[in-house]
Amino acid sequence: MTVDQGNNIITLNTVSKKTIVSRRRLAELVSTRLMLAATAFVGALVLIIAIGLFLKARPILEANSLGELLFSSTWRPSRGEFGFFPFIMGTLWVTILAGLIAMPISILGALYLAEYAPKRISALMKPAIDLLAGIPPVVYGIWGLLALAIGGINIGFNVLTGGIVLAIMVIPVIMSVSEEVFRMVPQEIKEASLAIGATKWETAKNVVIRNSLPGLAAATILGFSRAFGETMAVLMVVGNIARVPSSVLDPAYPLTALIANNYGEMMSIPLYDSALLLAALILFLAVVFFNVAARLVLAKIQQRWA
Amino acid sequence: MHRRRVEEAIFKGLMIASITIVAGSLLSIVAILAWKGLPALNIAMVTQTPKGGYYLGKEGGILNAIVGSLYLATGATVLAFIISLMVALFLQREYIGKTRFAGLVRLSLDILWGIPSIVYGAFGFAIMLYMGIRASLLGGIIVLTLLEIPILTRALDEVVRMIPKDLKEASYALGTTRLETSFKVVARQALPGIITAVLLAFGRGIGDAASILFTAGYTDRIPTSLFDPVASLPLAIFFQLGTPFPEVQARAYASAVILLVIILSISIVSRLLTKRLARNTVK
Amino acid sequence: MNSACIDIRNLNVFYDGHTALKNISLSIPHRQITAIIGPSGCGKTTLLRSINRLIDFSDGVKVSGEILVDGQNILGPKADVTSLRKKIGLISQKPSPLPMSVYDNVAYGPRIHGMRDKKELDKTVRNCLETAGLWEELKDRLRTSATKLSVGQQQRLCLARSLAVKPEILLCDEPTSALDPVSSQNIENKLAELKKYYTIVIVTHNIHQAMRLADYVVHLYLGELVEYGPANEVFQKPKEDRTRAYINGTAFKELEIDSQINLKGKVCPLNFVFAKEALETRCREEWKPTARR
Repeated sequence: MTVDQGNNIITLNTVSKKTIVSRRRLAELVSTRLMLAATAFVGALVLIIAIGLFLKARPILEANSLGELLFSSTWRPSRGEFGFFPFIMGTLWVTILAGLIAMPISILGALYLAEYAPKRISALMKPAIDLLAGIPPVVYGIWGLLALAIGGINIGFNVLTGGIVLAIMVIPVIMSVSEEVFRMVPQEIKEASLAIGATKWETAKNVVIRNSLPGLAAATILGFSRAFGETMAVLMVVGNIARVPSSVLDPAYPLTALIANNYGEMMSIPLYDSALLLAALILFLAVVFFNVAARLVLAKIQQRWA
Repeated sequence: MHRRRVEEAIFKGLMIASITIVAGSLLSIVAILAWKGLPALNIAMVTQTPKGGYYLGKEGGILNAIVGSLYLATGATVLAFIISLMVALFLQREYIGKTRFAGLVRLSLDILWGIPSIVYGAFGFAIMLYMGIRASLLGGIIVLTLLEIPILTRALDEVVRMIPKDLKEASYALGTTRLETSFKVVARQALPGIITAVLLAFGRGIGDAASILFTAGYTDRIPTSLFDPVASLPLAIFFQLGTPFPEVQARAYASAVILLVIILSISIVSRLLTKRLARNTVK
Repeated sequence: MNSACIDIRNLNVFYDGHTALKNISLSIPHRQITAIIGPSGCGKTTLLRSINRLIDFSDGVKVSGEILVDGQNILGPKADVTSLRKKIGLISQKPSPLPMSVYDNVAYGPRIHGMRDKKELDKTVRNCLETAGLWEELKDRLRTSATKLSVGQQQRLCLARSLAVKPEILLCDEPTSALDPVSSQNIENKLAELKKYYTIVIVTHNIHQAMRLADYVVHLYLGELVEYGPANEVFQKPKEDRTRAYINGTAFKELEIDSQINLKGKVCPLNFVFAKEALETRCREEWKPTARR
């Protein structure tokens, strides 16, 4: 074999070599600046949205006291009375109910797929879950309408219907993340538990779930924030009556539906537009609060388990 | 021993019930839509725009909404992809490092991901009013882009972070710049993940109604410029459902079938492409 | 040209405050094979990664001192890392084919550095594959994905890829540790041929490999330079006790196991490899490894 690795394979003249080097350097420089700009924009976007919403909501915050806005139940925009309490409660009722339904189903289902299910079933369920996660809200709304509210089960337009629809919407989100989290638990830890005579369920309960707590918390937060901000699907089945619900069979009127139904139309009423952007600001602040709180809690959990 | 076994059996039963609920709801969604929507579905639905009196039950279709939705989602996905790819690549450690800035950007992305689409819609509309832009294709695309950026960036960031360190170092050892390595090695290795992420974002964009409710407007015509208002499938479904006429409501169901078919095809295409492209990547 | 190709002066490397390399000063000679030996975790890889600045990618790393390559301090603020890395090829422990075809893997570097001409590229790819001893095996499979090759072929492909950017120096980080004995032999032969044209620095914990290949030997222990000199001197009469202990310890144990297997009368090649591996692992564990990255 001949070693033909001479230093004369590449015969570029020095001038073009220099232009290539400087062109590459320029490309690197320009691209880095552009990427930095894009990243700074995304980083600042939260701030921009916060400031924008606050500026638009300021007129109503100046006209009415914060306590009255948040805790009054009277919603009469034409008389300048803006009590958000029924809407805040509407959002809470629907979101919490959806969470209560979705949590156990998602976690048990994920545990089944990760630990118990035959390969065929988990291979079949994965695309199904992905598809379910991709179905648009409007389609969920129609389904809620036809299967739960008027057709099929006929439970009417209320918190329960909204909660079920939302739960079905967020289950795939929570379930797929939880399944991934369960699958990350090292085999050795599970075997250690099985080896001392624990049953599969005891191992799942004491080892798999315990090891996955931070991940499950993250999955749940993901699901909650999705449910909390959902608009169209809920709007179509929840009744939209501005009263504080007293049971799951009462209709509700979540903040998101309030904005969707009224924004852009009632602009002639003074402060109405500002009030609706205050609703958006409340939703925004809740999301910020969720995220910051979640980070703190996750850091705590990780500290304890690490 | 007996108690332990009963407990196991109960919980296993509950797990199977949970999975059945999930599978059942998917089947029930598809079945109900097919049952209610297919009878109203015809070729005119997808080839014609609404004629006069369409919302009273007369002739026409929802081609305006189908095309509008494709315009909106394509425009937004392209814009969001350009920005998100830049951000995701910049979040690599050779660019941004382990700085507080990186942490801040990731927190910001998490918050943006959680912001409800109706808030994007309201914020976008407020900005558009301020700047004097009417509800239009452009407005809809901008708001959808904002909505898609966090979805896409988080997905791309995850994909890019999974690239084996050895691979990048092999490229850097040959004297490449960060840009060259990012596009020729990282993007190439991450291609299946990138496609999945893009199609996911496209799906979210085409299905979202709340963000374009105020910003894109609605029209029976197919837009010819960025400044025309534009119809969209989710809103077409919503508005047709809102009419008091059963035959128009049936068309809403048919439109939902069309939307569902689009979403289903995206998911199938995504699966096929990923499988094909994964053959060329390093395991 | 100076006989010293790489000049390392007072090099210190810290990871998050922990010292990985302490005050290393040595000169690596031109067109020779220099082997860096020592137990795992003693800073061999860190030293190697300092020379082509891949160490920049490690977390919380701090470097002080100077490394002169062709008289230029590559650790200085004005150093052009990109062209430095072009000058220095790297063969890593685990072969790392890029996610593209065999041809594109080799052409990757030249293309980036401005080679556009198809014929020129073809020629470069062919030359480099020949040098790496892959041409005959792969000339009909240039378009297949590099990830489909065997591990041994992948490692030689990485060699070809490094050669394609015309480096002056080749850094090899335990290049045979992931390979079977035959492929290892292949790589070793190539390196021995290539030292006519390249300055080669090889990190190895296989003392026999160092004995077979090296002209110069650097012995590192826990981040310190223990001994450095021509291979025959270091191996035959080491000045330092620690070097003697390391050489004897490793070599002796391997000989011991060789003879044990031979005594049984049957030499099973596969078992032999496993036994050696097990032994090497044991040796490595005996030297309490310090945090590496």
